[in-house]
Amino acid sequence: MKDYLRQVGALVWKDLTLELRTWDRMSAMGAFAVLVAVLFHYAVDRTVIHPRELAAGLIWLTIVFGGLLGLGRTFALEEEDGAFDGILTSPMPKDAIFLAKVSSNFLLLLLLVLLVLFVFVLFFQVAVRGNPFALFGVLSLGVLGFTALGTLYSGVTVRTRMGETLLPVLVFPLLIPMVVFGVRGTSLLFAGVSVSGVEGSLRVLGGFSLVALLSGAFLFRFVVED
Amino acid sequence: MTAPPARPAKGPRERSDSEQGPLASLDVRGLVRTFGPIRAVDGLSFTLHPGELLTVFGPNGAGKSTLLNLLAGALQPSGGEVRMEGRLRSHGDVEWRRSVGILSHRTFLYGHLTARENLRFYGRLFGVPHLEERIVERLEAVELERRGDEPVRGFSRGMRQRLGLARTLLHDPAIVLLDEPYTGLDVHAASLLRELLSSLKDGRRTVVLVTHDLNQGLELADRVAIQVRGRFAHLDQAAHLPSGPVDAFYREVVEEALEEGR
Repeated sequence: MKDYLRQVGALVWKDLTLELRTWDRMSAMGAFAVLVAVLFHYAVDRTVIHPRELAAGLIWLTIVFGGLLGLGRTFALEEEDGAFDGILTSPMPKDAIFLAKVSSNFLLLLLLVLLVLFVFVLFFQVAVRGNPFALFGVLSLGVLGFTALGTLYSGVTVRTRMGETLLPVLVFPLLIPMVVFGVRGTSLLFAGVSVSGVEGSLRVLGGFSLVALLSGAFLFRFVVED
Repeated sequence: MTAPPARPAKGPRERSDSEQGPLASLDVRGLVRTFGPIRAVDGLSFTLHPGELLTVFGPNGAGKSTLLNLLAGALQPSGGEVRMEGRLRSHGDVEWRRSVGILSHRTFLYGHLTARENLRFYGRLFGVPHLEERIVERLEAVELERRGDEPVRGFSRGMRQRLGLARTLLHDPAIVLLDEPYTGLDVHAASLLRELLSSLKDGRRTVVLVTHDLNQGLELADRVAIQVRGRFAHLDQAAHLPSGPVDAFYREVVEEALEEGR
């Protein structure tokens, strides 16, 4: 177990160090989030629609579309000088590689979530009336499941010709439960509903993430092995 | 061809002097790998004793790199078996991969990490004990100790390949697989790498070298194989090669094998 965690830690450290030095994915995801917020700021007529009614949906769509920009490049970074073959020929189990990739992607997407919340609060003046910890729970559970699926499918598409174009086509249908319950939970918390009011959403999102993580860890070996 | 090892064991055996690292024989029997209708490796059998270096020559598409990937554990065989010290390689064999080091023309290095960080990363994947000391040792061995804290993207092709060799040997593997290690190197860098590779002939490591270059391949070889269409058209001691120009012999073997295959 100690070896397993050391290997996962090494891969997460490597991914985050590379991201800090290149800003390859965070710059694309961050620019997208800010752009969406700015565009909707000018596009929505506030005399007709209250921003709070739209905010939850817009936040989730920005996270999903922005997140896919980053997740799509998960394994593209490993193509440099055959580096991924170096990992595959190491004694690191395939499920450990998957969990490490999910962990580093999850941390990057949490940063995206914070940025998205910040820009939406800034441009739409949306106030969180409900429990902020519950909001964090809804967003992080949803993002965890999304990251697990996105990471798995990024491994599927990285060596295909269509690559990053194919990823959303494959992933979107599977994300429907996450988006539906994520938007519902977020919107209720924006409206000031108590934690017990979003328990159902939290449970579905937790179950969704657990299934995505376990199935991803099991299936990943079939994705990377010839 | 030699007989398979007589003494099956659980893994590479350790010498009494632990500084000298593990020893392992490699036994391949009826190895097959297909890609659809193509048999990239077609029933290969050979045994390598600890310390032996086998050079595999062959034309493009002969299945040489596929053979190395099968030995490395990166590919699963469609048939046959591979044993190290009598222990059969199984699917997803983590211990097998711990005993093997692979260097190809691709270095597996990250340009945005420093040389030391690259080695530290791979060292942690392989669970190398006393890692920091080992990194210093390896960097010194490939004459890169002064460049250890520089990002690899600023390295020349030759320096990258030397660092790739340091990465390959970091965990002191019993079996070393070299896939066209000289590709893309200029004469000076190739000569420097050749000197470093000759240190692999320490009587401990079992080495398989795949190359197109007959002269470079023969310099280090104990045994020579010529692979054509997935099969060994020739396998013998390097000392038994006929006298005279080796490229004429190579062409003859390849042409004969291709003719037989028609």
